[in-house]
Amino acid sequence: MSEREQPIAGPIADESAAPADGAGRSARAKRPIDILRERQGERTPEQKEYFKRQTQVRKALLEALRDAPRTIPELAARCDLPSEEVVWNVMAMRRYGKLVEDELRGDYYCYRLKEV
Amino acid sequence: MTELKKNYDGLVIGGGIAGMQAALDLAEQGYDVLLVEQEPSIGGIMVGLNKVFPTLDCSSCICTPRMAESAHNPHIRIQTYTEVKSVEPLNVGFRVKLQKKPRYVIESKCIGCSQCELVCPVDVPHEFDYGLGARRAIYIAHGNAIPQVAVLDPTYCTFCGRCEKACPASCIDYTQQPEDEEVEVAAVIITTGLHITPMERKAEYGGGKFINVMNPMAMERIQSSNGPYGRPLRPSDGKVPRRIAYVQCAGSRDRSIGVPYCSRVCCMYALKQALLLRHYIHDVDVTIYHMDIRAFGKGYEQFYRRVMQEGVRVVKGKVARINELENKDLLLRVELLDEEGRVAEERYDLVVLSQGLIPAWQGEGVLGAELDEDGFFRSISPKISPVLSSWRGVFVAGVAAGPKDIPDAIVEAGAAAMEAAIYLEATRYHERFIEPAKVH
Repeated sequence: MSEREQPIAGPIADESAAPADGAGRSARAKRPIDILRERQGERTPEQKEYFKRQTQVRKALLEALRDAPRTIPELAARCDLPSEEVVWNVMAMRRYGKLVEDELRGDYYCYRLKEV
Repeated sequence: MTELKKNYDGLVIGGGIAGMQAALDLAEQGYDVLLVEQEPSIGGIMVGLNKVFPTLDCSSCICTPRMAESAHNPHIRIQTYTEVKSVEPLNVGFRVKLQKKPRYVIESKCIGCSQCELVCPVDVPHEFDYGLGARRAIYIAHGNAIPQVAVLDPTYCTFCGRCEKACPASCIDYTQQPEDEEVEVAAVIITTGLHITPMERKAEYGGGKFINVMNPMAMERIQSSNGPYGRPLRPSDGKVPRRIAYVQCAGSRDRSIGVPYCSRVCCMYALKQALLLRHYIHDVDVTIYHMDIRAFGKGYEQFYRRVMQEGVRVVKGKVARINELENKDLLLRVELLDEEGRVAEERYDLVVLSQGLIPAWQGEGVLGAELDEDGFFRSISPKISPVLSSWRGVFVAGVAAGPKDIPDAIVEAGAAAMEAAIYLEATRYHERFIEPAKVH
């Protein structure tokens, strides 16, 4: 039986229902996500760096693609990133619907932002 | 969650094509089967392949109906994301301890809508695409996964809670922990499949450090329309590769890495992939460097000839070394055996190493059936009934028993199911024949 079904867990508490004096938080049952966090431990510096780097790279790529479709080498040069890292991130963004493949330019396909 | 039924006629360890076939062949005779798979989905290697040789049929089009059939058969219970912890012989049958890994998702409630995956903020290299594509920290294994149930990878979780908020079925459960189960089974079929020989062992080919030297499974994914790139591109810079080389026996027939045997599938998958590359990239130059081509199955020799007719260069030569150039192109140093051993240097955009097959599982501390010198499960009767292991009541099929291609794995799985059925009938109706479970 999972702890979700035990009294200690329960659904995420509604913040608006917290006592006005702010003293109620520690007294409330732990949120399930906090139980996972406790069990997994705080994120390591390497994990934090991974999350931070991904956010930075995505931001740079989106910015570089704002005005025109570009190839991987063009994106790598513009964002000053290793091209293999650009490939992986572009393909991830393509998979999750941020980018689409565009025309073939020489030996390289261009990628552009997906129109919403 | 539905409680496990505690007793089964058969336990099948490994939910790839051989495991599904063995489970179905037992179930269709009326036996109750527990099919255990350690990954989040059944389907094994085959569901990730692009096409099969020599017919070039879509691999998942063959595999997914078997997956669905297994899932819908009333005599089969599938336990995914579950590891077998021990198989203990009893006087009749086996006591089996299982451990289900936490998905952090309630399987019976998940509707496979992917809403959790879409809102997750972290992309992670996807194992299904051999790291070339991405998945999220919470994800459904792949489009054809069975069950279509999400799994959370806590290593990459930022604890943002978005998946829980997005889930329309309230099935996220961050408090799940490993669950232990114990069942009794009458017979066991091992179909645990394969790994490929690690690239790290081949220092002369870059030892896994050259990004454009690929393993053949990654090439399968790259060629797949639902693969990481949607088309064949090279991983270093997204270039459409114009010159591609295959290096045969790059992990088989090689005593230096402890794999002296032929892996039996590398010649054929290299020919198949090379032909398909010619179809996908019309002006591509594909060369296969080999010691000899082993095209032994039905229709394989004809396929080999067709591949050469369609423009793939098949060259008898031993690749001595691969060097990576500045732009990540690759320089191959090849001894050309048909030119009196002349040494040539050829430059390529992409190189695929035809790595060999090694067993994915050897029973480590779980099940003591004997292994052969090559590391695969030993058959006590390799000529007459190759599916009999050294443990009475334990049968082995597919690549767990030795390297083989898909048709052979399926045939062997059927044979294992038949031997298991014979054993089950013997144990059910003629108990005087039953001996302690360890010796045949």
